[in-house]
Amino acid sequence: MPFVKRDVIAPSKDGRPPDDNLASHVAALSSPDSETRWSAARALGGRADAVPALAAALAAEPVARVREAIMTALMRVGDEASVMALLPYLRSQDAALRGASIEALQALPEAILPFMTSLLADSDSDVRLLATELARNMSAADATRILCRLLEHERHPNVCAAAIDVLAEVGTREAVPALQSCAERFAGTPFLPFAASTAIARISDTER
Amino acid sequence: MTDIERASPPSRKRILVVDDSSLVRLYYRDTLEKAGFEVEQAINGIEAMEKVLVQPFDLAIVDVNMPRMDGISFLRTLRSSPGDVATLPALVITTEAGEQDVAAARAAGANFYLVKPLSQQDLLRHAAALSGAPP
Amino acid sequence: MAGSETHGARAVRVTPEEVRRLCEFLYRRTGMLFNDNKRYYIDRRLIERIAATRSASFQAYFAILRSDVDHEIEHLINAFTVNETYFNREEHQLRCMTSVLLGHVIRRKPPGGAIRIWSVPCSTGEEPYSIAIWLMENWSHVDSYNIEIVGSDIDTRALKAAADGVYGERALMRLSRDVIHRYFRPVADGEYQIDPGLRDSIQFTRANLIDAQDMARYRDFDIVFCRNVLIYFDDASRRIAAENLYDCLGPGGYICLGHSETMSRISPLFRVCRFPDAIVYQRPEADHDGH
Repeated sequence: MPFVKRDVIAPSKDGRPPDDNLASHVAALSSPDSETRWSAARALGGRADAVPALAAALAAEPVARVREAIMTALMRVGDEASVMALLPYLRSQDAALRGASIEALQALPEAILPFMTSLLADSDSDVRLLATELARNMSAADATRILCRLLEHERHPNVCAAAIDVLAEVGTREAVPALQSCAERFAGTPFLPFAASTAIARISDTER
Repeated sequence: MTDIERASPPSRKRILVVDDSSLVRLYYRDTLEKAGFEVEQAINGIEAMEKVLVQPFDLAIVDVNMPRMDGISFLRTLRSSPGDVATLPALVITTEAGEQDVAAARAAGANFYLVKPLSQQDLLRHAAALSGAPP
Repeated sequence: MAGSETHGARAVRVTPEEVRRLCEFLYRRTGMLFNDNKRYYIDRRLIERIAATRSASFQAYFAILRSDVDHEIEHLINAFTVNETYFNREEHQLRCMTSVLLGHVIRRKPPGGAIRIWSVPCSTGEEPYSIAIWLMENWSHVDSYNIEIVGSDIDTRALKAAADGVYGERALMRLSRDVIHRYFRPVADGEYQIDPGLRDSIQFTRANLIDAQDMARYRDFDIVFCRNVLIYFDDASRRIAAENLYDCLGPGGYICLGHSETMSRISPLFRVCRFPDAIVYQRPEADHDGH
């Protein structure tokens, strides 16, 4: 047999026990070596006391996969502070950063719920647009309530479109009136009437 | 890549629609299919890469805002891939606030960009022009 | 419209629009596409799952599915995929390994260097043994390198069965008579056991993909087969497992997913590689600043 069996359970190469020291991991977050920063971010995953350090590191991190690991670490904490550390990236000029923060925040429907009202009232239409996506993992009742409230007042077609897409998946029949009035408000414009009527068909053809 | 199979007779143009929104993809698909295009879909840049590497397309219509791999990153990956796939025409769709997106799209190698929402006429006109279909 | 009865309860009917919602959700979540012409197939499975979860309506079931209560997504997908494990399942990936991947791997190795291949989850061992047999049957350089094959699973009973290496005829259905003769011996009616030499060559270990400390014991793998497990993890666990697997691979190492899985639903960490026999994902050789 050309196969070699090596003992995988052997201790790691340098024989060090796992290091739980917050200070040393935080220091490693500013290492010039990306691999060290990556490992530090991973080691700090889920640690609420590391959130300020993770947030600071995220702001300065040039390497995409390290940013990804820092965002995972924040997501694993999942408290108000970690949500606030992720929120600023909804405004980023970089589409990759916007998408990454949405992905991390989407996994925290309970933690993001208190922020939804202000996010959906943000003066930046792109922020409102991205925020609708955060309702996708919420309960049908929460998502419907939040997005219908948005649709009542929202004038920007792309924000409405994004909300309608989430409602088409998650919405209850309570969403139908808001969808109908949206379709009327945007009658004669491209896409929105189609989106609203498709969403209405999806969620109203359903038994109680 | 020389072993990609031709999935359709050369006369029908094939378009890959890449957008996170199912309603947008449905809208584009309905419009394009009625006009005789063959349409496939993807929800982000990673899925789009998988599809373009496996089947030939004449055009990719790519939204900027998508999870896991946004439209600009997809474009960069596409343009730096080996083989024919790197020259796949790409129409990038941005939101009106996305001035930076437009610059980034151009730098990443977009053939054209449009601002959503698209009318059916605009979609068809640009799809035809960029995929090389007869007008 | 499809309907069902559950112990005399009111029949639950499913409308075409509800099926569309379900299919959109499944496509978004898993990448599995069910076109209109496959919808009839979904109807029946959906009704089964509505009954199995004692849901009073599609709405109630959809809420369960969306929050993945009791791993309902996995149950639903299992309802319409074939779950059997057998030798040389997804042979195209094995072919890709010997025809392309190993060629790239050995370019980085000194002569006689170690090549590390991991099958996780390995279940009852069909996959790691298939890899070993395939290499011996199909790779011309199999004797020129030190090849380590590790099989890991979270289920210790499955690992015990893997170490025992006894299989029924159905598991061997893709193997030729010659191969069965070469690597197995009959031990009971319709049962065959892997030769002791081969059994002893595979390292079987218990491992949990989400546990970073666990996973820290696995490093420098050249090829990982991680099939039909990641897609069932929740959002957070998928990210964590993907980051763990990244660390388990050496730079340039490859990871193969299940037939209907895609990294587009799992993680942006890996590069998509298209080869004649398979789509495979790669840990990049190096980081790129900013991207």
